[in-house]
Amino acid sequence: MSLFWSVIRQLAEIEAMATSKKVITREEWEKKLNDVKIQKEDMNKLVMNFLVTEGFVDAAEKFRMESGTEPDIDLATITDRMAVKKAVQSGNVEDAIEKVNDLNPEILDTNPQLFFHLQQQRLIELIRNGKVEEALEFAQEELAPRGEENQSFLEELERTVSLLAFEDVKNSPVGDLLDISQRLKTASEVNAAILTSQSHEKDPKLPGLLRMLLWAQNQLDEKAVYPRITDLSTATLQDPSV
Amino acid sequence: MVNDPEQINQQQDLVGSYFLELWRLKSKSAAVSFAKHFEDEELEEEGEDVPTELDTLNSSGGFSIVLRDKLSVQYPSVNLHGHDVGVVQANCPAPVKRLVYYFEMHVKNAGAKGHVAIGFTTEGFNMRRQPGAPLLLAALREILPCLALPGWEANSYGYHGDDGLLYRGQGKGEAFGPTYTTGDTVGGGINYASNKLFFTKNGQVVGTVDKDVKGRLYPTIAVHSQNEEVSVNFGKDPFLFDTKAYEATERARQHVLIESMSIPQEESYGIVRSYLQHYGYEETLNVFDVANQSSVPSIPVADHNGFNEHAMYALNHRKILRKLIKDGEIDAAFSNLHQWYPKTVEEDTSAISLMLHCQKFIELVRAERLEEAMDYGRTRFEKFYSFTQYEDLVKDCAALLAYEEPKKSSVGYLLGEWQRENVADAVNAMILSTNPEMKDHRSCLHSYLERLLRQLTACFLEKRLLNGNQGEAFHLRRVLLAKNP
Repeated sequence: MSLFWSVIRQLAEIEAMATSKKVITREEWEKKLNDVKIQKEDMNKLVMNFLVTEGFVDAAEKFRMESGTEPDIDLATITDRMAVKKAVQSGNVEDAIEKVNDLNPEILDTNPQLFFHLQQQRLIELIRNGKVEEALEFAQEELAPRGEENQSFLEELERTVSLLAFEDVKNSPVGDLLDISQRLKTASEVNAAILTSQSHEKDPKLPGLLRMLLWAQNQLDEKAVYPRITDLSTATLQDPSV
Repeated sequence: MVNDPEQINQQQDLVGSYFLELWRLKSKSAAVSFAKHFEDEELEEEGEDVPTELDTLNSSGGFSIVLRDKLSVQYPSVNLHGHDVGVVQANCPAPVKRLVYYFEMHVKNAGAKGHVAIGFTTEGFNMRRQPGAPLLLAALREILPCLALPGWEANSYGYHGDDGLLYRGQGKGEAFGPTYTTGDTVGGGINYASNKLFFTKNGQVVGTVDKDVKGRLYPTIAVHSQNEEVSVNFGKDPFLFDTKAYEATERARQHVLIESMSIPQEESYGIVRSYLQHYGYEETLNVFDVANQSSVPSIPVADHNGFNEHAMYALNHRKILRKLIKDGEIDAAFSNLHQWYPKTVEEDTSAISLMLHCQKFIELVRAERLEEAMDYGRTRFEKFYSFTQYEDLVKDCAALLAYEEPKKSSVGYLLGEWQRENVADAVNAMILSTNPEMKDHRSCLHSYLERLLRQLTACFLEKRLLNGNQGEAFHLRRVLLAKNP
């Protein structure tokens, strides 16, 4: 070990002693890591869950063949769900609404907020395409009545309609509505609602486990100094530092 | 760079013994010991003793106040000589390897003064040896305020009925909750996640207090005035308090904290991708990449290649070999290995050779070509017999021949998909180990995903260890089965 590292190590130990934290060397920690048994089967399930929830239907199908892991949902339903998502992402909101109703009419019936957001997205697309009259008519006939029922809907409606008031919409305070991220937001809301209606979790487990890892490391930081993984994408242990 | 023959051998031994060990965890000899532990680890908490009744031997008063059902306590109507206080512990300490422990006490009769109490006391408390030194001492201190008590530790907690105060160790009673009396049900609980004790009255939490004791805590109750009668419920009957809802709230609280950690969206994509690379799931990888490129907006993950040390190394070969092994085509796998990576199968008695030969034998048994299997075993297994480290595994294989329905036998696991996959994983790792770019010699064993999951598990275990082994362990399988909110 170079002098530099041994100094760093010493400093880490001094700091740890000052705060009475337990110091776990890299060697000791690696031994603990090697004692942990992770089942291959469980990792396969985790990957399958990710592919299925995120809607990678072809990849899920291949993964089923290559790894022998069974998906926890009927793969055919993914195709329908992804078609809806894609329709919203590419601005075909009417099409998306129709597809959701084909899939299960209860989804929109029981979810007024989602239905409002889809209609709002439809309004945004009309404005984007310069169909001003149609947009106004749609806003008054379809959206305004819903706004009367719900204060937050009304505010969102007003914000959306005000897109028409700006010449340079992109740089206006409501410019974000025309952004691609607005479509993605609506798309993921529909996606989640469909998954929930299929009694499947709306989020994949993997990101949750990654968050849990960061949290667990933070918790352990309070009591010990040990090699952490800071960069998740390389999963590399870092020597305890000061 | 690995090209020194000595180093290559060491590397191959590491890989071989790693996967043999995984096999051994599933093997017959391990079935009773650690494989069982491996499979059942999530049942850990069920293996812990839980209080079921009151301790009659080790409590003040003993049988004179604990009734025959061992769940009720009655203070006599006559003055008990030398037993002013009746403190009764449960027959064992509260279990610790869980999120929450809880028990209840019902006050049947608050007696003359209503001096009943519920709480927790520590171990090492022996009423017979030290009569008059009850740990739920607050009660005693009321009668004998100036009594100096030997062996009295600051480690007890009691919620009292007559004044609703909480008595902690030697401290004075602190304002805590409402008083309780005849007809009321109170409960005491330990929340291992927040490291707090909580008490309830008639199904509602009335207060919490920091648990500043590391040792085991015994559920404890106390009576000390004439005619007082209480009964305890250690969970045999339904609790008045909704423990399930309480646990759910606690989990939700943790969940919110965990959800507040931020990770970039593409992180998961990268980890999935490196997993597919690591195990040579090439077709999945290709389709996954295509989908990512065509999605709106495209996910940037496919751009930064090479974040996995092995990346695309020998990906196609690894995929072909995996498929062959999964299909039971062991001869073809062998000959491909000989052709592409001769060094990996050079040593005829290496672990990888053993695994492949055994798999060939297993495939013959599966195909019910028993005579061929017998011949194969005779000629191929012989050279492995002199290696004691292989003995148990070779025996498992040979035992397949003894059964009419080997699948249902104690070595039936060999015919499962897991066995094929483990052989395929071993071959995959062996090929990765020939990568001249490899820097970390263990990187061929574990995908990034596995490393992260190991780190996660180790952090939870260490945290629990530093907390006196109290609290829930982390189980990946439990997370996989859980339906999150």
